[in-house]
Amino acid sequence: MGIDPPFGKGLVNVIVEHALHSGGADDIRTTFDIFREIFLVFLVIGTAVGVVVVAYMTYNAYKYRDGNGTADSGDVSRPELGELPSGSGGGKKLFVSFFFSAIIVVSLIGWTYGVLGYYEEGPTEAETDEALEIEVTGYQFGWQFTYPNGHTNSTLVVPQDRPIRLTVTSDDVFHTFGVPEQRVKTDAIPGQTTKTWFVANETGQFEARCYELCGSGHSYMTADVVVVRQSEFHDWYDNRSAAENETQADDDPDTETGTDTEGRLVGVPSVTTPNHATEPTTIEP
Amino acid sequence: MTEDAHAENGHDGLPPQTAVKRWLVTTNHKDVGILYIVTSLFFLVFGGVLALLMRVELWTATQTVIAPGAYNETVSAHGLIMIFFFISPFAFGFANYVVPLQIGAEDLSFPRLNALSYWLYLFSGLLFGTSFFLGGTFSGGWTMYAPLNMPAYTPTVGGTTAVLALMLFVASVTVSSVNFLTTMHRQRAEGLTTLKLPLFSWTILLTVWMMLFAFAALLAALLILASDRIVGTVYFQATEGGSLLWAHLFWFFGHPEVYIVFFPALGIMAECFQTFCGRRIVGRKWFIAAMVLVAIQSFFVWMHHMFLTAISLEIKTLFMATTIGISLPFDLMVFALIYTMVKGKIRYTTPFLFSFGALVLFIIGGITGVFLGAVVLDYEFRGTYWVVAHFHYVMVGGATALFGGLYYWYPKITGRMYDEFLGKVHFVLYFVGFNLLYFPMFVAWETPRRVFEYHQSFVAWHQLASIGGFVLAAGFLVMFYNLYKSLFAGEEVDGNPWEYASSAEWSVSSPPPFENFPGLPSYGDGRLRFLTPGRGGEVADGGTATGDDALDAAADPATESDRPQSDGGTVTAEAARPEIARDETADTALPDAEAEEEHPDHASYWPLAIGLSAYVTFLGLSGIRMDTAMYPALTGVGLVMGAFSFVGLGRESFHVPEMAVAERWPFEGVENGKLGMWIFLASDVVLFGSLIGSYVFIRVAYGWTAWHVVPHDPIPGLINTYLLLTSSFTVVLALVAAKRESTRGLVASLGATVAFGVGFLYNKGIEWQELFHEGTTVGSSVEASTFFLTTGLHAAHVIIGLLIALFMIAQALKGAYLGEEGSRKVEYFGLYWHFVDIVWLFLFPLFYIL
Repeated sequence: MGIDPPFGKGLVNVIVEHALHSGGADDIRTTFDIFREIFLVFLVIGTAVGVVVVAYMTYNAYKYRDGNGTADSGDVSRPELGELPSGSGGGKKLFVSFFFSAIIVVSLIGWTYGVLGYYEEGPTEAETDEALEIEVTGYQFGWQFTYPNGHTNSTLVVPQDRPIRLTVTSDDVFHTFGVPEQRVKTDAIPGQTTKTWFVANETGQFEARCYELCGSGHSYMTADVVVVRQSEFHDWYDNRSAAENETQADDDPDTETGTDTEGRLVGVPSVTTPNHATEPTTIEP
Repeated sequence: MTEDAHAENGHDGLPPQTAVKRWLVTTNHKDVGILYIVTSLFFLVFGGVLALLMRVELWTATQTVIAPGAYNETVSAHGLIMIFFFISPFAFGFANYVVPLQIGAEDLSFPRLNALSYWLYLFSGLLFGTSFFLGGTFSGGWTMYAPLNMPAYTPTVGGTTAVLALMLFVASVTVSSVNFLTTMHRQRAEGLTTLKLPLFSWTILLTVWMMLFAFAALLAALLILASDRIVGTVYFQATEGGSLLWAHLFWFFGHPEVYIVFFPALGIMAECFQTFCGRRIVGRKWFIAAMVLVAIQSFFVWMHHMFLTAISLEIKTLFMATTIGISLPFDLMVFALIYTMVKGKIRYTTPFLFSFGALVLFIIGGITGVFLGAVVLDYEFRGTYWVVAHFHYVMVGGATALFGGLYYWYPKITGRMYDEFLGKVHFVLYFVGFNLLYFPMFVAWETPRRVFEYHQSFVAWHQLASIGGFVLAAGFLVMFYNLYKSLFAGEEVDGNPWEYASSAEWSVSSPPPFENFPGLPSYGDGRLRFLTPGRGGEVADGGTATGDDALDAAADPATESDRPQSDGGTVTAEAARPEIARDETADTALPDAEAEEEHPDHASYWPLAIGLSAYVTFLGLSGIRMDTAMYPALTGVGLVMGAFSFVGLGRESFHVPEMAVAERWPFEGVENGKLGMWIFLASDVVLFGSLIGSYVFIRVAYGWTAWHVVPHDPIPGLINTYLLLTSSFTVVLALVAAKRESTRGLVASLGATVAFGVGFLYNKGIEWQELFHEGTTVGSSVEASTFFLTTGLHAAHVIIGLLIALFMIAQALKGAYLGEEGSRKVEYFGLYWHFVDIVWLFLFPLFYIL
């Protein structure tokens, strides 16, 4: 069920979840899936390497401790006061270790590079439904979403299983737009646009928030993301237009939304123009 | 602090170490090192208290004790203080104390500049502290992203004060870099080639090179920022790339800064591993090669901090590759340290434990850094606690080794041993506290950075981290108690308390004599010897011994007293703590035929005076746009004080002998002063390069051809080009006259230079006046801002040059600067002046024609 966001899952949970995960074969490969897979592999290998190296260090520190007898074999040359600095041998072992570590690092990163292109560009039109293009504008301290028909909203309402392409910018300072549950994130830079995409496989309500310090309201700079079934999205979207923005400006942005047992949307996502006044204004600069 | 025997004699011209006055006037590298260490520990406490404040706020998932704006100030100040005012100065405390001893120098090349670095550092830190009281300090994070760093969003005077404090800090770093580079390249003991430098000195050498260039880029960024905040230029407000411009400038500095912070720690790890394992490092040459590679490559990875900005996939790929590339040399260094333990005779002393712990922490930091190197993972980690945890493992992991260094050199600096048990208690609290503090951040990595409101599900992890923070802090209470107690109650040590320590600082008494060595240090025959050349090159044994007796022989009175009493390295048997009796002849009788009879100077008030003037000036500047007379008045007072102090410094007779015999590769033919000037100008090249780069960046973002060239008429600029070129010629004439010992010719040539320079400024003044009349002001457009700021900075260089020239004229009238030796200062001034001219040759086409 997608209602319970994976937000807040620790490392362990991610691994467990991955083990249980059974993605449908015809699913679009989402950023969430890609991230989870890569993160898991990195975690396993990273932990293994870390444990081996630190264990080996500790073993050496213990084995060659003073008074253990290992030190006094006689053939070891010790540093002397006033000598010109020089090194010990052992270069071969050094290079073998270096070589292996380099292979691990390069192959890990090289492997992730293979999906970077897809991660950047998203699924092609041929693979999926037509993408929904939404403009995202950050401001101190909130987000505004502009739909292709000119409708603007303070909640990001998107259909399930359809690529959502975001063009992100900022009205004032440097923000970063991110929806952690969807593993989507990009910088919102004034005067520039950045692009990103995601596909939500499950309906539900999520949180978008700012990931770059942007002022005193940074901690509160969030927006709701509501994923609904495609049919429900069409019902909602077809009744929205740019002209409506003004008339519905006073809607309560915090309308309860959720899904019933069948996963249907309960409560209508609020529709407002960006209303800066709804943001925490009590904060002193 | 134990009293320096020589200070009692007044031999060095300084009051004893117990007198406050000594610490205000000293230029001795060991004194300055102690000042750095003590001051940086103060800032550790400052930044640490701010960190604990954050950890208290993060105890619950909602905002409780600190107001939102104050939280942002806390976050920002914690980062800036720890990175700028704690870690690097702490490392440079050791560098100041130890590097001259390790390389065989009596002091740094420019002792007064060394004191100046310290005072600029102290006053920059105080200025930063003052910013809290001027409406609140800067609150836009330590990365100071644009345009949040603009007064429109962070309007407090304190915000500007903090920016100026950082500028002052950069000034300190630049002065220090010039000094260290000159010293380390020109004052190494005979036989100590660059490749043979002890590893701590190696890391400092590379650190200082990185500092020289990286901080120049930061200075450019801060200059533009200060100009935007004070003068009213509109660089970072410009939507045409202003925001990205800051990110580029900042990270071009910011990534090398990571290694600037980490390298000294690496050097200490290498020293401690070698000493306490009783093994020379494995693969020394490769270790050094890896560090050199990192130092160079550190300037080509900065965009990995910007993977989520609008940079193209090709550039991301390139920077991903360079990022992996820079991680690999560290693998080699880590393995080299680990293999050094094999066949060792490892003693778990406090410095070793800290070094070992630092390596463990660095390995964890490094592995989690590889995660960030994968662009796909970086996208999600950006702005989260994964990043926070990672860089604390790397940076505080590095600081771990620095604390090891504090214990390692404590007996050398104080002459007394710290309490080993308390040291171990500190280590346990530190290591447990550290991991309790930062490891949970990996688990709760989905917490966004710099927020005080986070998801409920992370509360337990953040509480664990908060507990860890207090455990870590408790460890420092133990450390401070230990350091203080041992100062009086610690066991007295001789020259070398550590078996298998090998570098030169351990071959002299603890603390070392004021002049460091009993004779001229030399590795000429492969081992450290102290020469007393006045006696026809007689060799004195300064604590070299062979075999396992190295420790005892170094300072054991019995061994040493077998040698002739006139020996420069003799240790007097009757001294409770062996002091090396200094042979007076070694002081004066250098092999150089022109042996100096003059004693070297060690005391000057002017560095302190300049630091104080800078503090007052910058404090005034930060609020100069306010409607009170106080700030302009402060600025004025500060400038007058500064002028007075600089003239005082320039007029002071301060004798610093150059080493008679030294390794000077690759600068054998260049004297210290000239090398110092070259190095300074190299940093100035980066400064102007960054400003020109910023101009090009903004202009490209704006549309190169759509750009409106500010001066309507290139003719005034062309005339100025001729004026400056001619003035370069007159400077050459001045040098010729000085060498010919013609005071009249010297004064006339310098006078002509001043006249041309004034003509340049007058012409520019008219040009600017006209532009202002037309309504083209510094803030009227981004074109105008780049024009006025870049050419204005050049004009400031001209003005400084003219002030120096006027000062030199006044001195020349009194007969200064004549002859081969005296003319050198004219030559150094000439180098500067030519550089200023060359800069104009770039600026003229860029801002008047293209």
